[in-house]
Amino acid sequence: MALALKRKSDSSVPEVPNWHPNLRIVESLPDTKVVRTAFFVNGGFGVLALIALGYFLVQEWKLHEVNSQIADLEHQIDQGTHQSNDAVRLYKDFKVEAAKTDEVADFVSSRPLLSNIILRLGEITPKNIALDSLDFKENGLSIRATIKGAADKATLQIAPAFERLLRADPKFGAKFSEVNLVTIVKNNAGRMKIDILCTYRKEKK
Amino acid sequence: MTTEDLVAFVKKNLISVACAVFTILIAALCYYRSDLLPEAQKVLDERSAKAALIAANIEDSAQLREQHARLVAANKLIADRMIHIGQLAENTGYFYRLESETGVHISDPKQSSWNPPGKGAPKTNYTWVGFSVSATGDYNQVLDFLRKLESGEHFCRVNSLLLRPVSEMRGGPMNINVSLELMAAME
Repeated sequence: MALALKRKSDSSVPEVPNWHPNLRIVESLPDTKVVRTAFFVNGGFGVLALIALGYFLVQEWKLHEVNSQIADLEHQIDQGTHQSNDAVRLYKDFKVEAAKTDEVADFVSSRPLLSNIILRLGEITPKNIALDSLDFKENGLSIRATIKGAADKATLQIAPAFERLLRADPKFGAKFSEVNLVTIVKNNAGRMKIDILCTYRKEKK
Repeated sequence: MTTEDLVAFVKKNLISVACAVFTILIAALCYYRSDLLPEAQKVLDERSAKAALIAANIEDSAQLREQHARLVAANKLIADRMIHIGQLAENTGYFYRLESETGVHISDPKQSSWNPPGKGAPKTNYTWVGFSVSATGDYNQVLDFLRKLESGEHFCRVNSLLLRPVSEMRGGPMNINVSLELMAAME
């Protein structure tokens, strides 16, 4: 063996044949492999086929599930469509009817009930103030009144107190955004006449 | 490679070849049917939304029929309380009826002219007609008259009002000038 590994320095020297002939007949030799290569090859392809089959079956199962859900929903839809259409039709009618009542409600609530304001004003007006006229306009109310008593007391105490009273009253003042004493003059009889302007509160829509 | 060689190869590796062919077939089938699941999912979403809408419609309409019937009945009562624009005598007669009920003395109630809404105006079920009326009576009568106007048979909106004593004398008769609108049926 050591001789065979030696490098031939001279190419002209003829090659030395093997020192003994190979007499083995390969075909007749016993198979000594524990597991054949074909097993792994077949196994690999088999696993691949099984993975593909598994994937396909999972997809088909999902599709089947989705389709059965669709069938259930379609059954529900078929059963409920008639009732739903009736409800929609009825609701349209309901809206038409509701629009009528809304129209009336909007009309009635677009202005305050003036009788309530007059009654409340009568309740809270002090005895030393006599109401001369109430003039309700689109924007608000103008109150004209005469104050009994001395001019200085009427000017400095009674008129401002009445203005504050109107502004602070929970029933009367709530209807007006502004309550202002705009005029205070002495009349021919020596009494103080006042004019209070109340501006309606604008409804927030 | 000849056909014989191929046949021999197949015969020799029958299982591998069969598995490979089967895998290819399955892959092709998967590819061919790959659109079905997303499409079915889309259909499912659509049907789910529709079914949910139908279910909500049915659930929400549980008392709708009764409410609708009540509303229709209420609207019938409302319609009965509307004035009719063309019935001038009946409309002014309403104020004289209030006069006899409250004891005030009414002078010359007037109905304003009414113009139908223009073509571009939003469609409404009702309209309103203006009236001006003046009444004289004591404080209670005048206030009763006003209350009956505001909450009476016809739907009323008082636009302006002037309340003052007829004379300088306190406690005497009062005069009320009212400009109002009554709701009317569309003719």
